[in-house]
Amino acid sequence: MSNTLSYDDVVRTLDDLPSLPAVVMELLNSIDQDDVDISVLAKKVSYDQALTAKTLRLANSSLYGLQVKVTTIQQAITYLGFQTTRNLITAAAVTGCFAEGHCPGFDHKAFWRHSIATAACAKVLARQMRFNQDYAFTAGLLHDIGRLVLVSCFPNQYSETIAYRDQHDCYLLDAERTVLGVDHVDAGMALAEHWNFSDTMRLAIGGHHDPEAPGAGFLAAIIHVADAIVHALDLAQAQDDLVPPVSTVAWTALGLDEEIYLQLFRETELQYEEISMVLLS
Amino acid sequence: MTSNYHQLTLAEVRPGMVLSDVLLDVQGHVLLPQGTTLTEAMLALMPRHGIAVLPILKEEVSPETAQATLEHHEARIAHLFRKNDPDSDSDWATALLRRFVSDFRLGPQEAAEHE
Repeated sequence: MSNTLSYDDVVRTLDDLPSLPAVVMELLNSIDQDDVDISVLAKKVSYDQALTAKTLRLANSSLYGLQVKVTTIQQAITYLGFQTTRNLITAAAVTGCFAEGHCPGFDHKAFWRHSIATAACAKVLARQMRFNQDYAFTAGLLHDIGRLVLVSCFPNQYSETIAYRDQHDCYLLDAERTVLGVDHVDAGMALAEHWNFSDTMRLAIGGHHDPEAPGAGFLAAIIHVADAIVHALDLAQAQDDLVPPVSTVAWTALGLDEEIYLQLFRETELQYEEISMVLLS
Repeated sequence: MTSNYHQLTLAEVRPGMVLSDVLLDVQGHVLLPQGTTLTEAMLALMPRHGIAVLPILKEEVSPETAQATLEHHEARIAHLFRKNDPDSDSDWATALLRRFVSDFRLGPQEAAEHE
């Protein structure tokens, strides 16, 4: 097929993508460094007023149950810790980074509704599993980010992909592979490389459709199940949404019973509403 | 005071529900007056005050509306899970998720039928 893409085609277009604010790149790159000067970073973030406002609204949401209202980034770091604050800044930055439009058929809002809901669900799941909740939240938010790469860089081809999906009522992932030759997992991995995401995040993005692959890691299993739950709860409100097949290995690895799932559904819905009010406003 | 209320656990209470009674904390201090429309922020603070159960005004929902809502949810779940074969041996995790979401949306009386 003439318009089939390769992984290299995707990598070549990454430079044309809107870049994240410099300070967010710096935060992402510093994920494994211990000697980061937090006060300098906090100051840099606070120069970006829109970013600061969104971050503080997230920090003050009931998600974190703070007893005081934080009013500066530095304060958020004091109360929530550096890791959590960094993740909130990333979430606030990434959701505003990709432009809407240009790709007929692609529902930008529904995309972010799904991503935010998955982030909320993954965070609740992670707490249940005593796994790092910040990693789970960010990985949930970014798990499908490759889709935005494809939509932004190849809008016409992606539009065909969506048309193919509608025609065949198949999974969007399969439509991507058939029409484009690359899928959003490949594109997500390419972007994760380009934006210097940590290994944990890369594994989760790369493994969220195939958590059974060797080395996929536990976070991939969490994101995989969270993704399916969010489809099942219909939180993105996409007309022809489909629940993907749930990996029995991932489901068993979490090992939760029905009572916990029902509680988790309720919590996910509540948190989703609150976060989406901040991030999609 | 009203007799038209039920005690709901915190997990069951949703923003927008109305308190049927004054809400007191463990020390007996008034937290919220009777007739308060609960918000998400209020509910988030409940655990800190040791509140696990709240008296909630029952909404007047006609049986027809309730039935229509249930049918809508049921149809929507069937649509979302249209690629899943509930009797498949290999796809049991998806089928289990479907059952849990059905119980969540349609209530436990449906669960009895599944078993």
